[in-house]
Amino acid sequence: MSYTLRGRIESRLAALLPVVAVACVLMAVMHRWWPVQAAGLMLAAGLALDVLVYDRVLRYQPAWASLPLGALELGILLGLMRVLGAMAPLWAALGLFAGGWLLAQLLGQAGFPLLRLGYAEEGGELGRVGLVAALAVAVALTGAGATAYAGRAPVVYLAAGVHQGPLVITRQEILVGDPGAIVRGGIVVRANDVTIRGVTVVGGDNGITVEGVRGTVLDGVSVSGAKLDGIEVQGAGIMIKDCTVDMHGNSLGKGIEISYNMGMGMSMVEGCTVVGGMEGITTHSSMTDIVHDRVSGTEMRGISVTEMSMGTVMDSEVSNALGIGIYCNDRSMCMIEHNTVVGTRPDVASGNPTRRGFAVLASFQSEADLRDNQLDSNPVPMGAVINSRIAATH
Amino acid sequence: MSVAVVGSGLAGFTAYQALRRGGLAPEEIAVFGTEDDPAGAFRRRAAAIRQRRMRSESDGHCLPATFPGLAARSALGRRSPAPLVASALDRYHPTLEEFLSHVERVRERSGWERSLHSGRIERVRAVDGGFELDGNGPFPHVLLAPGQPGLNVPEELRADPRVVHAYEQHEYARTVTVIGAGLAAATEWLNALEAGAEVVSVRRREPIRRTLNVPREYFSRRGLAEFHRLGADERAARLRTLLAPSYPRGAAWDEPLRRAAAEGRFRVESSLNGCEQVICATGFLCGFRHDAPLARLVDDHGLETVDTWIVVAADGTVPALTDATRTLALAGAPAQWAFPAADTLAGARYVGHGFLRRIKACRTR
Repeated sequence: MSYTLRGRIESRLAALLPVVAVACVLMAVMHRWWPVQAAGLMLAAGLALDVLVYDRVLRYQPAWASLPLGALELGILLGLMRVLGAMAPLWAALGLFAGGWLLAQLLGQAGFPLLRLGYAEEGGELGRVGLVAALAVAVALTGAGATAYAGRAPVVYLAAGVHQGPLVITRQEILVGDPGAIVRGGIVVRANDVTIRGVTVVGGDNGITVEGVRGTVLDGVSVSGAKLDGIEVQGAGIMIKDCTVDMHGNSLGKGIEISYNMGMGMSMVEGCTVVGGMEGITTHSSMTDIVHDRVSGTEMRGISVTEMSMGTVMDSEVSNALGIGIYCNDRSMCMIEHNTVVGTRPDVASGNPTRRGFAVLASFQSEADLRDNQLDSNPVPMGAVINSRIAATH
Repeated sequence: MSVAVVGSGLAGFTAYQALRRGGLAPEEIAVFGTEDDPAGAFRRRAAAIRQRRMRSESDGHCLPATFPGLAARSALGRRSPAPLVASALDRYHPTLEEFLSHVERVRERSGWERSLHSGRIERVRAVDGGFELDGNGPFPHVLLAPGQPGLNVPEELRADPRVVHAYEQHEYARTVTVIGAGLAAATEWLNALEAGAEVVSVRRREPIRRTLNVPREYFSRRGLAEFHRLGADERAARLRTLLAPSYPRGAAWDEPLRRAAAEGRFRVESSLNGCEQVICATGFLCGFRHDAPLARLVDDHGLETVDTWIVVAADGTVPALTDATRTLALAGAPAQWAFPAADTLAGARYVGHGFLRRIKACRTR
């Protein structure tokens, strides 16, 4: 079909209208902003491509071109969502896009030509229907945006200086630490959709405790001196980004522990540095991606994925761990890719043969798939024990 | 009856379907024509050149909406997605049988017979309340779809006993010269070669190779908007360029010619030679002057013309004879001033849609 620019825009808006409606419903039901954000980004990316690229390059667009153009738009959408930090579950976002794309094809090939007899010869223009669709999309997105804006979390700034904790957060908010802001005695999160950004936590039983809530984001937090764990997450959905956890002097605590949150969807630990402690990053019965992290100097294991967890350990560096670098244990399924594990020390004192310095160990009916990891500078690069399977490819 | 269609060929038939889709009952439409079968003339010409597939694609049908096209119908009929995939790749060209049976089905269920009045209209006159058609009427809204005015045989060959037009029934002699460079010529090259003849192609220019009659953007507003903005002389020049003979690309066309050329059975020459048979694949007579009713219409009402074309509005209506109360529109080749590919099914649909819009907007309908 040879679209006019107006035809492209009107067809896109009309086809996107049901997607926007679904996104608004999802937002209302789930109390999550990402569906509308995704629909808005789909619209923005599509319109930009229509105006800047498609209209100039494609004087005629064969039906098959919808596939590569759809893939291009999906790539741009995912990139934008990542850049803008949209907190969308990947599969849900893909589902929304795929549904929208499929609907657009059905409408473009069948629905619109039946609705408007001259659709093809008018270059995809829809006349009044196009105008109404544009208005409806604008109203829906603006309304959803206004609703989200009105219901957005308040921002609380923590001034520089030491604040005595424990600080207990019981409402949705964004806690932003000014440079030099320190909470002594820990932070406890007890409300959904709390974001903590740029706060330093010193001491406390746990440095930060998150339990039974959704949508927590820890961004750029720094934790040290915790008596138990640095960051303790139980039954909660969380994204931890760019954190620092110092567990020196605490040989029984874990730097980051995420437990029993299978029902909360994917969690993520990304860009964190954990030093010391019994374990650097640990998951129990959890779906957590551990990406771009650095763990060093642990006394038991560097990174541990255990108790029927499913997760990815990717692009991370584990160094100087005692006994085991990366551990996939207890019926867990682990994707371990592009990691570097160096200097794992054999735990001779334990007398335990499974702690003789494995870079990666799969244990107790677990499955570990390894790809492109650097494991050479360790006493034992990899192993599988107690009915476990480990598969390595390069 | 408020609406008349003059011409019962495919152009009139396709426009008729748009009118029916627009809510007009068969009893509200009078179709004047000499044949019951809207595909009659097309069928004879296609048989003459032994055409097997349509040049048009999935939406080369007579229905008012592009969906469901022939590919979707074929996919359903065959229970195979192959036609849809071919259509998505712009590789779907329905067979002649598929197209003709489609026309037959549409004819049977559209009420065509109830609207059909046998007879050829010779004169269209604007009168109070619309248009009088050889004393019938008046009709407020008239669509003229007169069809092709006749076969074009070059003047210097008309008396040559070796000459046959491609669209007339014929067999092939041992040595055949085919004049022309369009789809009919290309089809005849292959036909004659298949019949064992030695073939010479005589043509004034190298054939243009493209899938459809005109570039694809001229089937939609994208190309048409710019076309409609052209001045009269520029538009006439553009039309001459667009309507130059062409036929599709592809090995199905090229490979037999390459093989025959290698065997010395196919060559291109600049003038006629001593062959036994001359096939004129030179299309149809062009221009309104070759169609007596159209010529009379122009002369009677002083309609604006440019070169061989009647000047029509973008929707195919004649501006001087169309206003808020009445409509005169052209379909088929005479509407090329509005739609360069007006002599295709897509062109007939385009004009049909424009005609329907005018009727619906008419306050006296």
